[in-house]
Amino acid sequence: MIYTVERTIKHAALLSAGLLFATSALAADMPKELADALAGKYKGTVVTAFGAFADADEVKFNENVKAFEEQTGIDIQYESSKQFEATIATRVDAGNTPDIVDFPQPGLMANFAKAGKLVDLSTYLSPEYMQDQYAESWIDMGTKPGKDGKPILAGVWERVNVKSLVWYPKKAFDAAGYKVPTTWDELVALQKQIVADGDTPWCIGIESGAATGWAATDWIEEMMLRTNSLEDYDRWTSGQLKFDSPQVKKAAESVGSIWLDDKLVYGGTKAIVSTSFGDAPAGMFADPPKCWLHKQGNFITSFFPKDRELKPGVDYDFFYLPGIDPAYGKPALVGGDIWSAFSDKPETRAVMEWFTRGDHLKTWLASGGTVSPHKDVELAWYGNDIDRGVAEILANATSVRFDGSDLMPGEVGAGSFWKQMTAWVSGQTDLDTALKNIDASWPSN
Amino acid sequence: MTQNATTRVGRGGILSSAVLLLLCAFWLLPTFGVLVSSFRAADDVRSTGWWSVFPHREWRLAETINPALDLDRSGVMEFAGARGTFEELRAGIMAPDGRRVIWVGNRRLGTVQVQERGWTSSNAFTLDNYESVLTGKQYEVTNAQGVKQTLRGDDLLAAFLNSLAVTLPAVLLPLVVGALAAYGFAWVRFPGRGLVFTIVVGLLVVPLQISLVPVLSDYVRLGLNGTYLAVWLAHAGFGLPLAIYLLYNYIAALPRELLEAATVDGASHLQIFRLIVLPICGPILASYAIFQFIWVWNDYLVALIFIGSQPKVQVLTMRLAEIVGSRGNDWHLLTAGAFISMVLPLAVFFGLQRYFVRGLTAGSIKS
Repeated sequence: MIYTVERTIKHAALLSAGLLFATSALAADMPKELADALAGKYKGTVVTAFGAFADADEVKFNENVKAFEEQTGIDIQYESSKQFEATIATRVDAGNTPDIVDFPQPGLMANFAKAGKLVDLSTYLSPEYMQDQYAESWIDMGTKPGKDGKPILAGVWERVNVKSLVWYPKKAFDAAGYKVPTTWDELVALQKQIVADGDTPWCIGIESGAATGWAATDWIEEMMLRTNSLEDYDRWTSGQLKFDSPQVKKAAESVGSIWLDDKLVYGGTKAIVSTSFGDAPAGMFADPPKCWLHKQGNFITSFFPKDRELKPGVDYDFFYLPGIDPAYGKPALVGGDIWSAFSDKPETRAVMEWFTRGDHLKTWLASGGTVSPHKDVELAWYGNDIDRGVAEILANATSVRFDGSDLMPGEVGAGSFWKQMTAWVSGQTDLDTALKNIDASWPSN
Repeated sequence: MTQNATTRVGRGGILSSAVLLLLCAFWLLPTFGVLVSSFRAADDVRSTGWWSVFPHREWRLAETINPALDLDRSGVMEFAGARGTFEELRAGIMAPDGRRVIWVGNRRLGTVQVQERGWTSSNAFTLDNYESVLTGKQYEVTNAQGVKQTLRGDDLLAAFLNSLAVTLPAVLLPLVVGALAAYGFAWVRFPGRGLVFTIVVGLLVVPLQISLVPVLSDYVRLGLNGTYLAVWLAHAGFGLPLAIYLLYNYIAALPRELLEAATVDGASHLQIFRLIVLPICGPILASYAIFQFIWVWNDYLVALIFIGSQPKVQVLTMRLAEIVGSRGNDWHLLTAGAFISMVLPLAVFFGLQRYFVRGLTAGSIKS
């Protein structure tokens, strides 16, 4: 009798789970806590969440979890902070720890993993299950050494953004007869053509208040991936390969071949440091365009001029920044949001398990502005062509690497790397000195 | 002799007034710029400075010339009396009649504009920024079923009320406790008075930041964190040393005879405090209230640590910081937000201003 009741409950759980996850037939079996949660077992519980994303992303997140909250009765209380990096450490030190935390960069998460503050997610997310949900590189990027030095699964990826994109004003671009380059040689030819037409190809700006220079680090990382092996990139981001090495210098010089050429940058090299990263793309939408190409992650569309309706695919579009050396394939540079758990309650587990499923992101994908790292996501779920195109670039990339400056220690990745690149571009120091200065700032332990 | 001194003072007065006016202009000019910007559209704020709303001279289009298709664009060309190469024309060439000839667009497809210099001002003002700040930003969200809906983000009003709920008790608490303590230090004899007072004054130099983590962990243990009581206590605690010190100087300078007369009449300490000291202390209490009000109203750090940014409880400063968006993409909204957040402190300041001046000078000269 009891047995039958249990079976009925289980059936109900599977049925309701099936309603929410009708499309996940291909995905792996649902983890236990998630199935329980969907059956309403954790009704009335609260999971506190903390993160850096705010504004539009916060609205979309809350909208995205609504259906899950209604079905499970788990209340996910998300709190955002503009001072996330500073606040999270204070809160954890004082014992005011949220259940789950969204880290905008894995470097910071690694610190908490090392301090033994994070729950090892592999205790309930098996390697086999994870491999069904994510490509290997995402699992690798979420695995960090724990307190005893042994690797733990410290976080699971929810959303990503791709940085290897070059935006262009499609309407004017087509009218001028320019063609989207698919190789580096074609890109160089396009630059030449634009210069011959009397224009400047690139809009570049790296000013960002106290964070001035971060946009420059993205360029260096792109060039690292395009002129060096993945092993070198990984050694570089982990501190084994010095900035003052031939490999990194080669990457920086590739950036310099564009940045330090006054003819190729709108306003000349000196304008790079004084132009805000958010204002830089505006030049593309002047009539006629003042510059034609702008490399930036998919978030940049929210900075495009708002006075007229700029339509994606009509007024602007993007292409993949081509590889340089065919030996290194088509790498994609990404950023992303990774969730970690500070508590091990069953409802926390359920939420973390839910984040590993591609279909949990459906509402967000339909709303636009994000890309999923999950394997079980269909391109049809994307609400607009831009996001879908970005997802395709990610899917077609021969390798995926995370934004290097976010993997480096804060002193470098959010400090000297920004500052020295700014000093180099503005002509205050030469490249060798800048690279040596960054090496010198790398923490010794 | 006396006359001489007066004229000197007069001359000095003019000079100091001039310096003061200049300083005021320096202080007010950026504020004025922010005010003007708060009424301008986002793209205007990004592309031109606020001073362009004033009439100024600018080149305006008079005539457009389409260069002939077979024109050799690599050599010297002539349009409307101006001769030059493509590069020179791109930079603009002055024609003999005082007009400017400029090539717009690229070498193959561009056109030539003849421009005249004329007066202009960009005065397309809008209330959009205020609307967006007051009623919340709009976001378009599509759910998994493909249904589109527009959501409104948090507005400033709730945060404004939260700030008020935080600020009023956080001002009154140290004011009352501080006045009582100051009276005690000044007029009640008890052992160790000097030592305790020295410690209190010494606490003036303790920076708030070093106590954040210990206080926070205590709050977490007591279950106080995230409540208004937590910030009230924090602000009161950190405001007290200054309150006591400021009020002590004033209360200690009251004429002894006044208080002795009251004692002779049989008044208790509490009665003296309530009926004699408090009414006399109006100006200094108002001065401190202004200080503390502006400090708490503008505080970001204490609110960030002890209340957090949940929309239900977040204060105005936190809301303002979030208004710019995740990546600062909406920074133009800060202009309107800043002015709305300024309204109350300005009202408080002007309302209590006459006490403020009196309170600052009071007690400075002992008679």
